[in-house]
Amino acid sequence: MAASATVEAPVAHHFDNLRQQQATIRFGMWVFLVTEVLFFAGVFVAYTAFRIWFPREFEAGSAVLNVGIATVNTFLLLTSSMTITLGIRACYVGDQAGLRRWLLATMILGAGFFLLKLREYQLDYQEGLVPSSATTRVVVPGSNPRAPEYREVPEFVVHYRAAAEHVGYDVEGVNLVRVQLFFIFYYAMTGLHMLHMTIGIGLLVWQVVLTSRGFFAYPQRYIYVEVMSLYWHFVDMVWIFLFPLLYLAGPHNWGQVIEGLRQAFTFGGH
Amino acid sequence: MSTTTLTRAGVPDLDYTPQAIPAPELPPEREKERVTYLNHAYGIFSWLFTLDHKRIAVLYLVVVSVFFVFGAFAVALVRTNLITPTGAILDLDQYNKAFTAHGTIMIFLFLIPVIPGVLGNFLVPMMVGAKDMAFPKLNLLSWYVYMAGAALFLYQLTVGGLDTGWTLYPPYSSKYSHTNLLYAGLGIFILGFSSILTGLNIIVTVHKMRCPGMTWSRVPLFIWSIYANSLIQILATPVLAVTVFMLAVEKVFGVGIFDPTLEGDPLLFQHMFWFYSHPAVYIMILPGMGVISEVIPCFSRRNIFGYKAVAWSSVGIAVIGFLVWGHHMFLAGQGLYLTMVFSLLTMLVAVPSAIKVFNWTATMYKGSITFEAPMIFAIGFLFLFTIGGLTGLHLGTTGADIHLHDTYFIIAHFHFTMVGGMVIAWMAGLHFWWPKITGRMYSDFWSRLAAVVTIVGFFLTFIPQFVLGYHGMPRRYPNYAPEFQMLNIMSTAGASILGLGYAIPAVYLTASLFTGRRAGGNPWRATGLEWQTPSPPPPSNFETTPVVYFAPYEYSLPNGLGLLAESGMVREANGQPAHTHPGVTTHHGS
Repeated sequence: MAASATVEAPVAHHFDNLRQQQATIRFGMWVFLVTEVLFFAGVFVAYTAFRIWFPREFEAGSAVLNVGIATVNTFLLLTSSMTITLGIRACYVGDQAGLRRWLLATMILGAGFFLLKLREYQLDYQEGLVPSSATTRVVVPGSNPRAPEYREVPEFVVHYRAAAEHVGYDVEGVNLVRVQLFFIFYYAMTGLHMLHMTIGIGLLVWQVVLTSRGFFAYPQRYIYVEVMSLYWHFVDMVWIFLFPLLYLAGPHNWGQVIEGLRQAFTFGGH
Repeated sequence: MSTTTLTRAGVPDLDYTPQAIPAPELPPEREKERVTYLNHAYGIFSWLFTLDHKRIAVLYLVVVSVFFVFGAFAVALVRTNLITPTGAILDLDQYNKAFTAHGTIMIFLFLIPVIPGVLGNFLVPMMVGAKDMAFPKLNLLSWYVYMAGAALFLYQLTVGGLDTGWTLYPPYSSKYSHTNLLYAGLGIFILGFSSILTGLNIIVTVHKMRCPGMTWSRVPLFIWSIYANSLIQILATPVLAVTVFMLAVEKVFGVGIFDPTLEGDPLLFQHMFWFYSHPAVYIMILPGMGVISEVIPCFSRRNIFGYKAVAWSSVGIAVIGFLVWGHHMFLAGQGLYLTMVFSLLTMLVAVPSAIKVFNWTATMYKGSITFEAPMIFAIGFLFLFTIGGLTGLHLGTTGADIHLHDTYFIIAHFHFTMVGGMVIAWMAGLHFWWPKITGRMYSDFWSRLAAVVTIVGFFLTFIPQFVLGYHGMPRRYPNYAPEFQMLNIMSTAGASILGLGYAIPAVYLTASLFTGRRAGGNPWRATGLEWQTPSPPPPSNFETTPVVYFAPYEYSLPNGLGLLAESGMVREANGQPAHTHPGVTTHHGS
């Protein structure tokens, strides 16, 4: 072997050379992402079917979601896709300190998304926007206040009505029980997305540790950062679909964006 | 060199033996010294933590065989129960659990992983001339994921089993079932990931790990079919996973997605379930077709007829297989136009399957056919799979399906493809590559006998079921009208013979491990790269990276690949003619 300026990274035993190893790793991730696309496609298909059948109910469900948090989260996630790409470049040119910096930046942005989303779940839970088969007794309107008549109503409907009133959404003609279906998809889809975020943040932590150990002293190992970024971009892409499908299916205005954010950062004020 | 003799017709009987890269072999008395994948490390942990694709294949072989026995035991209960019209041994709940156990175990734990897991793992790297799979750790992980899913399945059996049938249709599965779906559902979810990871590994290996000269038109047809199979695995399986996930979400929140009593749509479940499960029946047959494509040229001593047609028909089956799922729901209320479209598309999927059968038959035409056990199985496959495929056309025709749907006709149909197709192909493949995997030959007489017994037993079991179904005996019922009893007894008797056909190989294959004669590198004089290395193979498969200069089935050339070798067309990477390669590694050196 002729001596060269850069040291070649070691090659795993079952590959012939580094190029083959890199190409294999990259292709493997693309194939995995194909699987992931089909995985999410299943819920997207079910979402589409039900949205076609119940357009009003989906709109009504979307109207009470916290679009402020979602907007900030979209911004965080899109930015994180940029920072991780800068990380690949840093690794490629041998700048390990830069790589570490960009990985940490991506991690912080991802964690920010994660925490804000958890906060949103918490607010949803407090508002009672959780589908369930539980029912509650409410007074029948117009019945005698002294000896009120009661009626069994799904708990969700009571909570949803309050939430819709709060944002000023008119629920006339909406099947309120059916709005639960929108929330099923809301929790299932964002839940799956959050699961992927968790894995992604785990991978970032792992690569920060690798950086500290000098694993990326070989610039050719940028491939590991690259395939991780592919995964990260994919999770980002899923969010880009989820944001309009879930949050923008109903009417929102800028006031709600700001109100949502105020809610998110107001703790203990209940 | 071979001697030339004259055949009865006065034609010189040329030696068709391919002698391209004679596997470096030691004299028999020194065979024990050779380093193989089996003896280079010892102890249970050297197996449980191995990254060697060959050892992982053996791990799969062991557990998959165990689950085959489980599934067979369950169906033994079912067939015994069906001897009398009112049920001979089981009560109604037990009967539901027995046939569900049979279906789920055989499909999720046996048919789907068997050939990709065992033969795919063992052969794909060797056939493309690689040292290992693209991702060895992922490969081991997929075995562990499989084991985790299997453990959940077994746990489900201990906590009351499952009575929904393998299709898990709501609202029965979500509301009326007497059993809890939880562990089996989770098991299916997890097993799916094992299947996905194996498929991913195979796809990447075939794309990126082929040795020099191994172009797409030179890879063996087994590779083509297992590649097409892996495409289905990575595209369809995640949809099943997410369907099961939504079934769980529905259960947790109590809000209807699929359950009609909660205003959900059961047909949506069926669509999503069959979007996976119809392609999945091709997951269960394509690898078997790959095995047949290897076995038939070898024992006919003929090049495959229409290599490209067979190769692309695998891809065709994979693609069209995604477009026919609706034929499971002709009677479920999916709408007339959808039914007509799916019926038409179902006819289309028969075309690539027929291309394969015709090409295999044409390969045998005027071949020098010998009837070793793998070939008897393969010929059995041709008959059984063809019957299974043609009866599939009856069921794909809407009018006939209205009469035959959910009867024993459909049971017989899919057993002809799944058992007559896949299990028989698996037996053919196991017998074909057993010498390569273990380095030992099994009993010639007993293996041929087992092949014949299996095929005869199979016919006896399932032909009566066609008749039963045609006359209207419904599937999944423990009781039946008394006039069906004779045919049911015939079927059960056939099943006993079939069981015997499976039991005999268990005995002589096990015996061969201890007493079988050493197979040598290439006992069948086959052309694939996997045969050009000793049996069992060394840990890294090949001494040096092979280089390929020829198509995969050069059986028709006089002296086979030997001529190619002598003309210098077969060389290894170091530029030396392959057959002069001296290197054999031993424990002691020499």
